[in-house]
Amino acid sequence: MTTLRHKMRSLMGRYSGRREAGSVDVRSAFVSYKKIMDDNDRALEIITDMGEKTSGSYLFDVVYIRNAYADLTKSVRISLKDFNQLTGGHYPGIQSAYEKIDARIDALISGTTRPLERLSIRFDDISPGMAREVGGKSYHLAEIRNRLGLEAPDGFALTIFAFEEFIRHNRLGESISALDSDGDQLENRRSLRQRILRGSLPPSLEKELSESLDWLRGRCGECRLAIRSSAEEEDGFFSFAGQFETILNVSAEVPAVEDAYRRVIASLFSDEAMEYQQRFGYRPGSLRMAVGCVAMVDAVASGVIYTADPLDGNRDVAIINSAWGLGPSVVEGSTEADRFVVGKRPPFEVAERILGKKKTMTSARAEDGVEEMESADDLRHAFSLGPKELEAITREALSIEDYYHGPQDIEWAVNRAGSVVILQSRPLRIKEIQRDETVAAPVLERRLLMKNQGSVVQPGAVGGRVFLASTPEALDDFPRDAILVARSDSPQFARVMPYASAIITDSGNTASHMASISREFRVPTVVNTGNATRVLEPGVEITLQAGEDGGMTVYEGIAREIIDEQHDTFLKLEELYEFRRRKYLMKCISPLNLVDPFTDDFTPDNCRTIHDILRFIHEKSMRELIEASRHAERGPSLKRLDLPFMDNIHALDIGAGLTADAGDVFTVDQVVSVPFRAVLSGMSYPGAWRKGGVPISLSDFFTASMRAGPMLENVDINLAVISHFYMNLAVRFGYHYNVIDCFASPRAASNHIYFRFLGGAADLSKRLRRIEMLAIILDHLGFVSKAKGDLITATTTNISQEEAVRILDQVGRLMAFIRQLDAILTSDAIVKEFAQRFIDGDYDLFGEASL
Amino acid sequence: MSSRIMVIDDEKIVGDMAKISLEEEGYEVETFLNADPALKRLQETGFDVVVTDLKMKGIDGLEVLRTVKQNHPDTKVIMITAFADLDVAIEAIKGDVFDFFPKPVRIKELKASISKALSKED
Repeated sequence: MTTLRHKMRSLMGRYSGRREAGSVDVRSAFVSYKKIMDDNDRALEIITDMGEKTSGSYLFDVVYIRNAYADLTKSVRISLKDFNQLTGGHYPGIQSAYEKIDARIDALISGTTRPLERLSIRFDDISPGMAREVGGKSYHLAEIRNRLGLEAPDGFALTIFAFEEFIRHNRLGESISALDSDGDQLENRRSLRQRILRGSLPPSLEKELSESLDWLRGRCGECRLAIRSSAEEEDGFFSFAGQFETILNVSAEVPAVEDAYRRVIASLFSDEAMEYQQRFGYRPGSLRMAVGCVAMVDAVASGVIYTADPLDGNRDVAIINSAWGLGPSVVEGSTEADRFVVGKRPPFEVAERILGKKKTMTSARAEDGVEEMESADDLRHAFSLGPKELEAITREALSIEDYYHGPQDIEWAVNRAGSVVILQSRPLRIKEIQRDETVAAPVLERRLLMKNQGSVVQPGAVGGRVFLASTPEALDDFPRDAILVARSDSPQFARVMPYASAIITDSGNTASHMASISREFRVPTVVNTGNATRVLEPGVEITLQAGEDGGMTVYEGIAREIIDEQHDTFLKLEELYEFRRRKYLMKCISPLNLVDPFTDDFTPDNCRTIHDILRFIHEKSMRELIEASRHAERGPSLKRLDLPFMDNIHALDIGAGLTADAGDVFTVDQVVSVPFRAVLSGMSYPGAWRKGGVPISLSDFFTASMRAGPMLENVDINLAVISHFYMNLAVRFGYHYNVIDCFASPRAASNHIYFRFLGGAADLSKRLRRIEMLAIILDHLGFVSKAKGDLITATTTNISQEEAVRILDQVGRLMAFIRQLDAILTSDAIVKEFAQRFIDGDYDLFGEASL
Repeated sequence: MSSRIMVIDDEKIVGDMAKISLEEEGYEVETFLNADPALKRLQETGFDVVVTDLKMKGIDGLEVLRTVKQNHPDTKVIMITAFADLDVAIEAIKGDVFDFFPKPVRIKELKASISKALSKED
């Protein structure tokens, strides 16, 4: 690029004899413009490289991220400096927009947050983007209230910053760091939990809490509270279902809430919660905990609705589990709940209705806390929900599913007034439907221990030794790959889930917290079998076969013939927290949101990514250049090229690029510039320019919108800066961006063609195919090409003028040919075929009439 | 029996990503954040390939290489490092390292190298 710049300068010099008053600025503006384009190119290359390295195909570490981002920062800062110089500091907003994005990325890389922010936020005031501050659970609840307008309890969040203040105030930072060391972790966690429970609230937090409680009492009278965990990411990608404490029925006074607050945050460091976090790639001690203080609902019945069947992935039905009283009976799996399968379309027909035994129910005590008691006889034999409530719950659940674009696992309650109140919503993990699956249970010459008992939570066929968990402490000795057999289900089992082959319980239900976790860990699980602890003897080897149809069988011994040969790889990349965090980092860097320069949104304030910043700089630099040319008295001015198929190419002639009689609108015949003429001749070659765009599929359109905002075509000015032998042409068709820079003089030694192509609208695999196709063609034309992600650059140098003209003619045809071609590159085979057809001069891919 | 691979890297994400990708190939994978417990584990049970980071707190990758070669001469060692410096590479080659990659490592290449290491063993 340096040689190019050098060449540009000498090019200017060549026409110095013609330089007239007023035109000097245009030329120096062009030098600046060119330099900014070079800086931007460099930055875009780094962005592409970062995208590739963090795509999942590479093992990368934080050193790479830091170094690459440092390089990027350097390029962008240089570009900004040159831009400010070119525009005379006309866009001060762009610098601060950049600083803001840079600070956010910096914080993500180093993992720090801003020091002191709001300690308490009312649910009414929670707005989009606050998920990290208030934690996932409170955030979703607030969204359901504020944005969907559904009935959900009042309350406020004690934020992540409150947590950090608490940790600082009680000097617990070191104890938390120790969780990531080699020491005795069980002991480290235990002592940390104790220190939290003995800790005191910092005065600032106590004051905020007291004010928030006053406010909440003002809203709901003498209400009781539920103090609920709301950790970072909780109810996000992972549910953390039942991993942290929720304290129910707490009086709305500072001492009671303070006590509950400590218990909730201590639960972040419980053994089962720590196992869970580590298994899913969280560095020990890295997760922080916000807490929700929520007005309790005086519930007649409560439970859970799944907006799909998690077992077979059926999206046409919703499944409701319900019991009398407060929620814990269902989510802790302590009682056998009523179960309803409801159709998701009006009239919401109930396809299945199973009366649960509901032996116990949870109620609020008169003083603090809740108790589980035997339910009255008449309640046991009656359904806890009637048709009206079933419909209301289903309707609300569907609007939540709609809002989050995916199946949900929703906790709800029906209050004394008979209305439905939403307590929580989280994504529901469902089995991806595999159509080619055949479930043929082989007949086995083995002793049958259990057959079709209980409910399957997670299907699978596994073998292992029975381990009877009589007490939670017994889990300390849980052997690897054993089958956990227990009386009731418990979220505490998360501790051993990574090592358990399967879980079978006597009681429990498929909507419990443990059930959610079994699905996340993909541990074959059957609950509510009635007698597993009596039938299955400790230490004996068994094989569990749990089917997607809900059927289950337990055989004696290890039946290798039916055991799933290759169970799922335990984790997938997207499930790693650190991986997601770095992906998130890329979201602050590479998507392009700023596409249409003709809308009011095209401002520095709307730059959300580094790519947006570069786009803004590019656009405004070009305008600056155009303006400079307009105001130049007798110097070059901007002229529009009259082309039948494309009306927005403008040329800035910096020296003998057009005939003297070329007006504000000029024709191809008036082009003198050797390279420009060659490209235009190629572009207008019969058949090369397809008439309409290729029809773009809905999913591609979606990808494009995600990448670049609304679909736009041909709204930009495409700029060609030309002279007799030189051309710099920047063309943007919708989502892809093509630059050709060329010098084609009679002296071969000083000639070059540089070709650069980035982006596209279709999904990545199709875009990559287009890049591959371009590589084949460009190599054929004699370029040396380099592809990286969806960016390709190609150069050829030391070519005669005739050769340059021949190649540029082909490049012109290629520019026309590849317009939107990515959308139809549906297979790898097509890539080679289309490349060959282009090389053979056959552009009529669809046998349709073209230009 | 599937081949057993050990991955040692003080950045959790590297071990986690390696585990996921290598398990896809049917290998049994164990990961460690530092070398001390990893070497202890090696005494308990054999591994076919050890993939280790070079720069780590405490025992570094070269030390791992020496120990492995001394006690388990059949185990192949693949070194990965963010500091691709020539001197270290030379020392590693002298120490009979099977392969050497600068980070970020293309997972495909790491898989190919492991598969080569395993086939040499047969």
